Amino acid sequence: MAEQLEQGGDRLDPLVRSAFREALVVSLIWLCAMVWSVGVSWWLGYGRTAQDLRLVLGFPEWVFWGIVVPWVTCAVISWLFAVWFVRDGELGEDVADADDLGLGG
Amino acid sequence: MWQVDRTGLLLAQKADGGTQVGVGAMLMLVLFILGSLWIGVMANRASSAGGFMKGFFLGNRGLGVWALALTATIQSGGTFMGFPSLVYSHGWIVALWIGSYMVVPITGFGILGKRLAHLSRRTGAITVPDMFRVRFNSPTLGLISTLFILFYLSFLMFAQFKAGAIVLQLAWPGGSDLALTEDAAGIAEVRYHIGLLVFATTVVAYTLAGGFLAAVWTDLFQSVLMFAGVMLLLVASLSAVGGLEQATLKSLQNTGPGFVFGPGYSAADSDHQFLPLSLAFSFFVVWIWGGVGAPAGLVRLMASQNTNVIRKSIYVLSVYNLGIYLPLIVICVCGRALLPDLAKSDEIVPRLALLTTANWPGGSLIAGLILAAPFGAVMSTVSSYLVVLSSGIVRDIYQRLLRPQAQRRELRLAAWATMILAGLISVAVMWSPPKFLQVFIVFSTSGAAATFLVPAIMACYWRRATPAGVAAGMVSGAAVVLLLYVCGIMGWSPEQKVGATGGFKPWFLLGLEPLIWGLLMSTTSAVLVSLLTKPLAAEHISRLFDRQTGTAGRAI
Repeated sequence: MAEQLEQGGDRLDPLVRSAFREALVVSLIWLCAMVWSVGVSWWLGYGRTAQDLRLVLGFPEWVFWGIVVPWVTCAVISWLFAVWFVRDGELGEDVADADDLGLGG
Repeated sequence: MWQVDRTGLLLAQKADGGTQVGVGAMLMLVLFILGSLWIGVMANRASSAGGFMKGFFLGNRGLGVWALALTATIQSGGTFMGFPSLVYSHGWIVALWIGSYMVVPITGFGILGKRLAHLSRRTGAITVPDMFRVRFNSPTLGLISTLFILFYLSFLMFAQFKAGAIVLQLAWPGGSDLALTEDAAGIAEVRYHIGLLVFATTVVAYTLAGGFLAAVWTDLFQSVLMFAGVMLLLVASLSAVGGLEQATLKSLQNTGPGFVFGPGYSAADSDHQFLPLSLAFSFFVVWIWGGVGAPAGLVRLMASQNTNVIRKSIYVLSVYNLGIYLPLIVICVCGRALLPDLAKSDEIVPRLALLTTANWPGGSLIAGLILAAPFGAVMSTVSSYLVVLSSGIVRDIYQRLLRPQAQRRELRLAAWATMILAGLISVAVMWSPPKFLQVFIVFSTSGAAATFLVPAIMACYWRRATPAGVAAGMVSGAAVVLLLYVCGIMGWSPEQKVGATGGFKPWFLLGLEPLIWGLLMSTTSAVLVSLLTKPLAAEHISRLFDRQTGTAGRAI
């Protein structure tokens, strides 16, 4: 897909390029969050008995490290991503007044 | 009248407590209804400038940060109705089930948001089928996507009508139930039919007046009220139980180790696994990519004002999600500690609200707000489906195929007629609600995502995608999800002791959710067929992907 985008070369709209790059980074963040959250929850929270229960701030240990901490981390990353990484761009105007079907086909 | 539950815990002290709460809830519902009608009138004024289609169906592409952030991703009535019941029934493991919401703000806006808003302007698209039609220069593809959207949204909308009517039925002063149970005897009551008529009239009236903006603004209205309700209930529940540590320990005492560990607690069958590892991964995929591919969400991204709005929506929604989902889990764990043996787990939130706010000034109103809040969620969901359905019929069928020269007045009448007709059909179908409706709801949600996600990503980013490839992706994704649901419902799948207890289940092939198989099939077939068919003209693609120079603004 990246190769396909590159076919546009210098002509490729910068907004399309930045949107694609951001989509890739977001997908990577999603993947990391999944591995962290499911992995830690599995490691600390599956197949245990009541005697294994350890609490952190009232949460079961696996919930704290597998859900609460990554959730807060993701909120911080989302803020950093939105403020520092996402580029603003011109979305452009509509090609025609939509009432009159001035579109293709 | 409130009753003493099986543990002997008195839920309300006065014999007429039920009436009191009914009045509180009914008052909140009337406020919701009046507020929504007022929003409809305001939205009508705001969307009347410019062309009718873009104003009525897309709010003149003017969605700001709050409207986009709090309404464009998954937040239907179901989130606040079924979710608390799951936590009460299965315990802390539901935190992992919903855990992917930690990245919903960034995926919901960061994957397709900016490019879809851009592409919809380049194509002049008002609807999702419009976008596919022009992007792939294929009226057939536009029609296929219209038919899919009409199919899925009809099921989803019918079911929401039923939920709305039941909330009104429950809020009736003197009513004794507190949750959206689907008890056949209850549904037969006159109150259900009156509730259905009041609900249908209200929601059609304000959507008819304000169109897309009315749907979005009521969604925003209920999201804010829900946030306030959750915060109040969090404080009330934690104080009542004596802190989170006590809540976890008491709920463990009241249930078993499954309540605090994976794969989750099941009262009826200790062998049952609510969330085995395969489903834990599945839901990280389902919530995220199902949300990105939902047609009603795609339309809202198309309506965003500018890229700055999309950017800010990411962190506004991050804060909102953090303030809603984790607190709701904590609230329901407190619920299991305070009310250990509820016969109907759906009732946990309203019962907890009653119990914990009984001594608060205005406690009845707060309990009323919490009981009435799902009504707002249901109204806004129906409203958004009505707009998408109506736009599909008016834009993609009436204007495209039947009356291309139709003027503003005729289009407006057509939109109104469609919405009134959709309301009438929904009332007629739901007058005696068919059984097994829940299955169609879940199927429609998964099916819609399996149909539209891969095509939408390809439309945005892959120059080589062809109309035949995208059509193959849509049909094959839908077919796989349908097949797995049919196998599960008909009992053709092996016995499965996983997932939520009760109700119907699809076939979790290899332990995975059907949407994952649908997306795999959709991706494979869309890529293969695209590579095997003739690419679209380079000039056409260039107009949609490349910088516009001298030809900027030219219709394509």
